[in-house]
Amino acid sequence: MNELASVDAAEELPSIQFTGTMREYLPIAATNLLLTIVTLFVYRSWAKARERQYLWSRTRFIDDELEWTGTGKEMFVGFIVVAVLLGLVWLTFNFGLPAIALRFGPLAGVGALLTFYIVGMFLYGLARFRGLRYRLSRTWWRGIRGGSNDPGWDYGRKAIGYYLAGFLLFGFLYPWAQAKLWNERWNKMSFGPLEFEAHMTSDDTKGPFFAFLAALIVGNVVIGLFTNPNVIVFGPGLPRLVVPILAYVAIGATYLNYIAAYYRAAAEWTRIGDIEFRLNAEFVDWLKFFLATIGLAIITLGLAFAVYEFRKWRFITSHMEAYGTVDVDRLTQSQTHAPREAEGFLDVLDVGAF
Amino acid sequence: MIEGKLYDGMTAHPHDVRVSVADGKLELEQDGGWSDSVDAALLKRRDAPAGKLRLGRSDLAGWRLLVPAEAEAELAPLLGRPERYGRWIDRIGLVPALVAGGVITASVVGIGYLAPHWIAPHVPMSWERNVGTAIVGDFGELKCRDPKGQKALEDLVERVSPGATKGPDAIKVAALNVPIFNAAALPGGYIVVFKPAITETDADALAGVIAHEIGHVRRRHVTEALIREFGIGALIRLFAGGVGANAEQIVALSYTRDNETQADSDAIVALKRANISPKPTGELFERLSKDSGEAPGFSAEFLQSHPLSGKRAHRFEASVDPKAHYQPALSQPEWDALSEICRKTPEQK
Repeated sequence: MNELASVDAAEELPSIQFTGTMREYLPIAATNLLLTIVTLFVYRSWAKARERQYLWSRTRFIDDELEWTGTGKEMFVGFIVVAVLLGLVWLTFNFGLPAIALRFGPLAGVGALLTFYIVGMFLYGLARFRGLRYRLSRTWWRGIRGGSNDPGWDYGRKAIGYYLAGFLLFGFLYPWAQAKLWNERWNKMSFGPLEFEAHMTSDDTKGPFFAFLAALIVGNVVIGLFTNPNVIVFGPGLPRLVVPILAYVAIGATYLNYIAAYYRAAAEWTRIGDIEFRLNAEFVDWLKFFLATIGLAIITLGLAFAVYEFRKWRFITSHMEAYGTVDVDRLTQSQTHAPREAEGFLDVLDVGAF
Repeated sequence: MIEGKLYDGMTAHPHDVRVSVADGKLELEQDGGWSDSVDAALLKRRDAPAGKLRLGRSDLAGWRLLVPAEAEAELAPLLGRPERYGRWIDRIGLVPALVAGGVITASVVGIGYLAPHWIAPHVPMSWERNVGTAIVGDFGELKCRDPKGQKALEDLVERVSPGATKGPDAIKVAALNVPIFNAAALPGGYIVVFKPAITETDADALAGVIAHEIGHVRRRHVTEALIREFGIGALIRLFAGGVGANAEQIVALSYTRDNETQADSDAIVALKRANISPKPTGELFERLSKDSGEAPGFSAEFLQSHPLSGKRAHRFEASVDPKAHYQPALSQPEWDALSEICRKTPEQK
């Protein structure tokens, strides 16, 4: 007989529940910080592993907690490999490009620079894909893990096109490119035998994005006008101070609104097996989170960054819901190749989790 | 007997099992008659949710046994100690690890701070010349090219440091038509004096400033500062000859307090040997350090690379020998020629 682990809207406990407490986490964060400092950041990888072990083990999905099995050692090796690689890239940029420009003329130099940027976009895309794949492959639930059989080369290639499209036309295609890229990477991911399916569109994100774009353009014009001492149309005094601040607030708020819409849509249009997701974090929730982050950073003179990951994880998990049924007998072990390399680029570039 | 939940790693199906310990093995059994025993060597603690103990097996990837945390006492003999901060740190303990790490970090930072001072004297002067030449070339439009003025400037260098403008490691001095009070030693033995440092001083004070810059060159402070500020990259640049080096950054090189003190000492000795009064130099430094508050911009640049203090001015003034018969650094015609060095050069920015 099949055993089902199901989540219905009517059920008492939320399908995704985070039970971690700041009290438990603070000693981890504090020792991580100290060890990271005294080891000249070598311990950073182990600190991340400890942090995730804690966060995952306090995150309950339906009726069982997640488990993080990534190790500090593998993350450190990944970090070193990529640091060496980026060092080579840096050398190329600093010595190779000027040499090409000097020897073969400025046109060749521009060509080399463009190639350099395109390779950079490819690597960035590859890093996002592989980082996600790595994280899923080290995330276990009921003895089953996630992963992907795709090495991500294809994603890296496509990412170049989407990034370019996103920047062209003054960013008008940006929401579309972001949605496409989300689908591209999540459609290659799996958990156990179940494939993730992502069908995000820019329908729900382009409105907020264009609002942000408009705020950005109008805001910058306003800031330019009000802070330019040669423009006396508006006269001196309070407006010179208040209006630019309001413009900055408007830009920040519309951006936050886009972020809220993006993740809401991403969760809504992503599913796995019979499970669907909802992220019920509204603009106001994001605003509260953002203001609390800034407030804490100011009060603690920046030390609060040590608990930022905890706060972010708690924010996401407490607003995330899942609906549907998992047939646990059919949720068999993942046959995907478990990557040996860790987050590497993603870690060095410090990109977010999803 | 401990009640536990077992995942076999094949499916996500949980199995209720009873757990016990016998003969150094973990014994598992189920109502239906199924049983299994696991060697202690295969068992591994995994990080667990609050109130639980989670065990894994090194030979079966997804195998997980969840038991209440209270089972710890009974299972402890089979399990190693829980990993906390990482294997190495757990072995020596958190506090000793912090202390050891702190000592190592302090040493590394200390070496990083001192290393440029040790390395600089061993960097071949020819490397440094590569950079200097690559960066400054012949200064282009900036340089004041009046031949009589240039001759007087070089005479002034010779006066404070006889023989300095000759040989492979010659000091190459140039006056630049830049309206900022500044003087600097650049890589490769170049010393530049900006126009106001000539027109707003006198020959003796300028001699002191130049003697100070010669001190920086001869003591390899320039190389030291390059390595300190740009690290390994600077060494590569020194060797490769200035690709990517930025002239503005180089002019803005700053020296350590010790380096400044040393260059001052060298300057005082040089002035004494040349029989030039150190008093005008002291007065200039005093004026500059006081000016910094009132007229920013005039001396800010010079102060940035040569942090002045009343103390440094006093050192020069204290070295005045009341019995000495000081000679002017340059004759009046020479000083007149030097003052006019930038006459024909259009002023830059």
